[in-house]
Amino acid sequence: MTNPPYTPSVNPLARLLEGADGVVERLKAHAANQAAHRADARAEVEPYHPRKLELTVTELIDETSTTKTLRLRRTAGGSLPPFRAGQYLSLDVQVGDVRTNRAFSISSSPTRRDHYDLTVRRLPGGLVSNYLLDEVSIGDRFTSGGPMGTFTHDPLFHGDDLLFLAGGSGVAPAMSMIREIVELGLPRRMTLLYGSRRSDDIIFQDELEAIERQHPNIVVHHILAQADPGWTGAVKPLNAPLIVKLAGPLTGRMTYVCGPAYKYPYLVGELESLGLPGRRIRMEANYVAKSPPDTPDWPSGVDPTGAVTVSVRGGKSFQMPRGRELIYALEENGMPPAASCRSGECGDCRVKVCSGEVVHAEEARLRTSDRRFGYAHSCVAYPLTDIEVDFQPGNYF
Amino acid sequence: MSTHYDVIVIGSGLGGLAAATTLQRGGRQTLLLERHSVPGGAATSFVRGRFEFEVSLHQLGGMGGHGPLRAVLDELDVTRRLEWLEDRDLCRTFVPGEVDVRLPHDWSGLADVLDGLSPGNRPQIVRFLEIVRETGLWQLTARVNLHRIPEQLEWLKTLPDVRRYALRTFREVLDEFFTDERLKLVLSSYWSYNGQLPHRIAFMDMARLLTLYVETRPYQVVGGGQALSSALVESFEEAGGELRLNTEVVQILTDGGSAAGVRLENGDTVGAKLVVSNAPSTTTYTRLLDDPGVVPAHVLQGLRARRPGASATCLFLGVDASPKELGFTAATTFLSANLDEQSVLRGANSLTEPCPFLIVTCYDVQPTGFAPKGCTQVVLSAIQYAEPWESLAPEEYAAAKASYAESQLDLAETLVPGLRDAIEEAELATPLTFKRYTNQPGGAIYGFDQDITDSWLFHDEDLRQNVPGLLLTSNWTTAGGYNSNLVTASRRCQGLLARGQ
Repeated sequence: MTNPPYTPSVNPLARLLEGADGVVERLKAHAANQAAHRADARAEVEPYHPRKLELTVTELIDETSTTKTLRLRRTAGGSLPPFRAGQYLSLDVQVGDVRTNRAFSISSSPTRRDHYDLTVRRLPGGLVSNYLLDEVSIGDRFTSGGPMGTFTHDPLFHGDDLLFLAGGSGVAPAMSMIREIVELGLPRRMTLLYGSRRSDDIIFQDELEAIERQHPNIVVHHILAQADPGWTGAVKPLNAPLIVKLAGPLTGRMTYVCGPAYKYPYLVGELESLGLPGRRIRMEANYVAKSPPDTPDWPSGVDPTGAVTVSVRGGKSFQMPRGRELIYALEENGMPPAASCRSGECGDCRVKVCSGEVVHAEEARLRTSDRRFGYAHSCVAYPLTDIEVDFQPGNYF
Repeated sequence: MSTHYDVIVIGSGLGGLAAATTLQRGGRQTLLLERHSVPGGAATSFVRGRFEFEVSLHQLGGMGGHGPLRAVLDELDVTRRLEWLEDRDLCRTFVPGEVDVRLPHDWSGLADVLDGLSPGNRPQIVRFLEIVRETGLWQLTARVNLHRIPEQLEWLKTLPDVRRYALRTFREVLDEFFTDERLKLVLSSYWSYNGQLPHRIAFMDMARLLTLYVETRPYQVVGGGQALSSALVESFEEAGGELRLNTEVVQILTDGGSAAGVRLENGDTVGAKLVVSNAPSTTTYTRLLDDPGVVPAHVLQGLRARRPGASATCLFLGVDASPKELGFTAATTFLSANLDEQSVLRGANSLTEPCPFLIVTCYDVQPTGFAPKGCTQVVLSAIQYAEPWESLAPEEYAAAKASYAESQLDLAETLVPGLRDAIEEAELATPLTFKRYTNQPGGAIYGFDQDITDSWLFHDEDLRQNVPGLLLTSNWTTAGGYNSNLVTASRRCQGLLARGQ
């Protein structure tokens, strides 16, 4: 069946305007000549930014006594979405009854599109790291969002002379950056000052040594918390004099910092004391530097262990201590919000606080209007009083 | 259907928010569904480090005096919830070595500046601005009085200049009045807010833009576009409306040829007497409806007669220096590399030449609350179509972004020397970014390509309910931008309420 030729629906006012007939003729020609519009915007961006990735563990690489690398490939096979060195993956995980997620920096090179490596170090008592290190085996499947994060080298203003301070598994994004530099022969210098607990807990030690030997633009110094007899390298603290001694003058260099967040205030202080402006220091979000009651906005005299009641609109109510991040309690009570970075930055775990009061950790990257209109990033929000929250649960699994 | 509402609104972009708030406050039980974790669509912001960045709002038209947007926001009980700032000028227009003018927001002051730029043209300038004003006011008025066509016809008969010039391109009319290319460029300053260069934009549309900004003055809002979205949500919820975030609609359900509800991503169905779709017309009619056969054939043909419009490539910069240190005195600067319109056209369609044009917006001449003290948020926006970005392989994308950002920054440094050295945060959004976050075909930021053929005068079907029970409110059915979108969506819903539907 063919339709009659297209006739535009012309407003009577147009008939009083010079040139209206010409416009009508052009529209008729367009209708006859143009193909149907593509309207699958979502499908078109999937190769760059997938909503969900189905991944399978294809290798488990023992790095140190505390650390393994999980090598993940696309369950259905094929290339993974591109990422920038320094970005992370938010892995959906179920441990027992708790559905949660964790963000892990990708340690593999962005030049490799067939796998992502996530390098996981055991956190004593940690729910997810212990599960991933002890329970996961080859062939296990995970889902995740696409690669995320802004802890990456930006050629626009970062320059080519870079310093990286890494602690523990915080070396993962540095490793991805270094691998990219050497594989592509990029004209960038990177000095890595890498802190580990002991000499047998240095992740990627052999590979870093080999790269350093072959690539003069990559310089690595290890700093140990507990030096063994015979250790000739540096020992903590990584203070301003030691930074200068190992890395040289900082002028003009972009400095990346990735490790436990509680160490950031000290390291930033040391870097700034060497004349590095704040805008030349970039820190990867990694949980919070100060927990209640040390959170800067924590009201004095309020007991962080005291219990409050949280009610979820359309869901159930439960009790939790004030000084705990809201998201953990929501997850333990079977109502996980969507989440990715879990460090206050990405905003995926945003919930509405309908009543009561929350306080945020310093790391919360809230919009001005979210503070004004009563929204919280539940991963770094602490309920000061009984609260009611509203959100749609995350769509993991 | 598990539950039933009077109205379901798909998408909490500005059109959806205005519709939902108007209908809920008009007594219709309304469910507003949004697939993102944040309401507002493009009227949102994001945070990087110490900075918050405005995604879409450059200058809010329609807020000053008896502006149409002010009237709607007053009626929706939104104005009082926000802090408004009036820009000191219209804009600054800058071409290195050629033009540097600040345009005031009054007609006589404007004539003075143009006369100063190109002495000896005053009579033509005054006459030209009179026609612009008359045509602009005519369009702004006619557009909201389509229910009074006989009266509108009589009025238009008395406006010979409007009848003569409205449908010509802005460029044709400029060429008729002036020879000085600098003067023509300055008069075309606002072309980018419609996404169409002077040789393609209708005189009447350019006149509408300029008139709206002069007559109602450009405004900013503290907290930016997201604050406006959140204020609309607050008013909607206070009136009893229900917003569900992280909830994607995958289908509009029909029953006997009428829209009757929606299916959600999780499989749930929800019923309603009226479905309002703020998704693009093409998406709504050809992808979301469970039975596209309910859409009249001429409506689908009409979609084919139009083209997806321009998108943008925006470099968001958090700068560790004050506006004063950077030399910003105007919130908005239109920056062209040269006087050659063709180079801007090529730049909109390719990545091979240096960026030829930018809207440079500084949100801290009067602070909108997004940058820390002593710092500045600067956004460099280029009008670009999605095609050159879409043609890149995914693995080429990051390098292409870096290279184009570099080119945008090079051009910006002709206006703000030393800008690069003070950057603390930088993020580039391309047409693919807009496509990703807004689901608009081609990442279009103003809906269909707004050349002369896209005028509402030739698309009466945009303002009709072409499928019973289904109303479309997106910028694919009206002129793009905050004022048009909010005002049109709200007024159309008031019309429905008035007719008791």
